[in-house]
Amino acid sequence: MLWLEDVHVRRGGTHALRGIDLEVQRGEIVALIGANGAGKTTTLLAISGLLRCQQGRIAFAPEAERLDIARMRAERIVAAGISHCPEGRQIFGNLSVSENLMVGAYLRGDRGGIERDLAAVHGLFPILATRAALPGNRLSGGEQMMLAIGRALMSRPKLLLLDEPSLGLAPQLVEQIFDILQRIRDEGTAVLLVEQNAAMALDLADRAYVLETGLIKLAGDGKALARNVDVQRAYLGVGP
Amino acid sequence: MTSAYVLEQIINGIILGSMYALIAIGFSLIYGIVRLINFAHGDIVTIGAFAMLGSVVALNAPFWLSVIIVLIVGAGVGMLIERIAFRPMRGAPQVTGFIASLAVAIIIENLGIMTLTAQPRNFIVPAWLGTFIPLGPLQVRAIDLAIVIMAIVLMAALALFVRFTKVGMAMRATAENYNVARLMGINIDRMIMLAFAIGSALAAAAGLMWGSKYSQISPLMGLIPGLKAFVAAVIGGVGSISGAMLGGYVLGLAEVLFVGLLPPEYSGYRNVFVFTTLIVILLVMPNGLLGRSTEERA
Repeated sequence: MLWLEDVHVRRGGTHALRGIDLEVQRGEIVALIGANGAGKTTTLLAISGLLRCQQGRIAFAPEAERLDIARMRAERIVAAGISHCPEGRQIFGNLSVSENLMVGAYLRGDRGGIERDLAAVHGLFPILATRAALPGNRLSGGEQMMLAIGRALMSRPKLLLLDEPSLGLAPQLVEQIFDILQRIRDEGTAVLLVEQNAAMALDLADRAYVLETGLIKLAGDGKALARNVDVQRAYLGVGP
Repeated sequence: MTSAYVLEQIINGIILGSMYALIAIGFSLIYGIVRLINFAHGDIVTIGAFAMLGSVVALNAPFWLSVIIVLIVGAGVGMLIERIAFRPMRGAPQVTGFIASLAVAIIIENLGIMTLTAQPRNFIVPAWLGTFIPLGPLQVRAIDLAIVIMAIVLMAALALFVRFTKVGMAMRATAENYNVARLMGINIDRMIMLAFAIGSALAAAAGLMWGSKYSQISPLMGLIPGLKAFVAAVIGGVGSISGAMLGGYVLGLAEVLFVGLLPPEYSGYRNVFVFTTLIVILLVMPNGLLGRSTEERA
C-alpha cells in the first residue's frame, strides 16, 4: 500500500537519502533498521510530508486508488490515512491526556467513530483512561509513549509510521509495546517501524530493510535477516 | 483622600486595564503561536478607532453594529498583515519578523497621516454612552461600564474558545509544536492566521473603547497603548493569554493609582513609572507573572 521509488532527500548540506526503494503491504509490520544517521527518521519524515523529497516517487494506496503523496501537504497525507508517531514521543505537554488523543482525531467529524476509537485506545492502554485529565508533561516516559501511539491511532490510520518506540524505555515496557504493535497490525493497520533495537524489531517484523548511509543495503523477511551474518555482526552484536 | 476617591481610582484603573488587557492578549496570542513580537499591533488599535468613526459617520450604523464592524475590520486587517508581511518570512530568524513588524507599523502610521492628516479628530459616540449611572456611592459613565463589560465578555469568549473548542485545542497544539501539529492534520498556516485575526479584533475593540473614552483619535494614537500593552503582556508572561489579561489589569491599576495617589507633581512621570515597573518585574520574575520558563507556551 506504500511504495517509495528512488527517493532522494537532502537535509541541510547532507544527502540523507540517496535513492531508496521501499514497500509496505497491507496488514504487515515492516521494520527499518540501521545505525544512527543512516536515514531512518528522514525516511519517515519524507513519507509524512514534513520533509520534501527532491527526487523520486512516493505513492500510497489506502484503497484501490494510488495517490501520489510526494508533493502533498502533511495534513492531506494524514487525511489520506498515514499517521506518524514521531521520534521522542513529542506529546503536547500543555494539553491534557484526553486532549492529546482528541487532537489526534482532529480531521475526523464522525463523533461515534471517534468515541469507539477512543474506547479502543483505552482498551490498548488502560493507564491513559485513568490519566485522562492530567497534562501530558506529567506522564512518565512509558505513559508518554503509550499516549503518542494512542494519539497516532486516533486518526484511524491505514498505515502507522512509528519512530523508535523503545527509546529510553524499560525492557518490560518495550515488550508490552511490541505486543501492542502486533495487535494493531492484526486489527488491520500496517506498521512501518523504525528501531534501534534491531533484535526485537526483526523478531516482530514480517519484513525488514537495513538502511546504511542513505541507501537500502538489505531487504527481506524479518527472521531471515536476523540470521544474516552481516546483520548479526553490525546490528545484533553477535559473532566475531 | 476619601475612600470614594480611592474607589474611583480603582475603577479607573480597571477601565484602563481592560483596554491594556485586550491589546496585550494579541501580543501574547501571536507570540505564543509564531514567536513574533508584532510591533504593528498598536496600530490595529488606531485602525479599530477609525473603523468605528467611519461606520458611525459614513454608515450611520447603530452602536452595536459598529462594534461588530470594528471587530471584523480588525480581524481582516490582522489576517492581511499576516498574509502579506509575515507569512513570506516564516522560518526566517526571529529578528526578521520583528523588523518586518516595525516596517508594517511605520507604513500604517504614515498612510494614516497622509490620508487622514495627523490632526486629532473628535470621536462620535451615541449620547447614552455619556450618561452617568449610579453605582453604589459613585457615578460611573455608561461608556466606562460598557468598556469593562465588553472587555470581560470578549475575554471570556476567547478563554472558552481556546479551552473548549476543537479549533482552540488545535491552536494550543500549534503553539506548542508546529511539526507535530502538522502530523495531526492541523493546517498551521490557518491557525497562525486565526491568531492574528483574533488578536487584531481584540486590539481593534480596544481602539473603539479608547476613542470613546478619550473622545479624540489620531493616526498615531495606537503607539502608546500598544507599547504599554506590550509591557502588560511581558509582565504577565508573554505567550500566556491569562498572563496578558492579568498583566493588563495589573498595569492599568498600577498606572492609575500611581497618578491618582501620589502628589500631582509626579503625574508627569506616568510613563516612566510604567516602564520602570516592567524592568523591576523582569528583574524579579524574568518569565513574567504567569509565564513559564520552558519554550512550551500557549
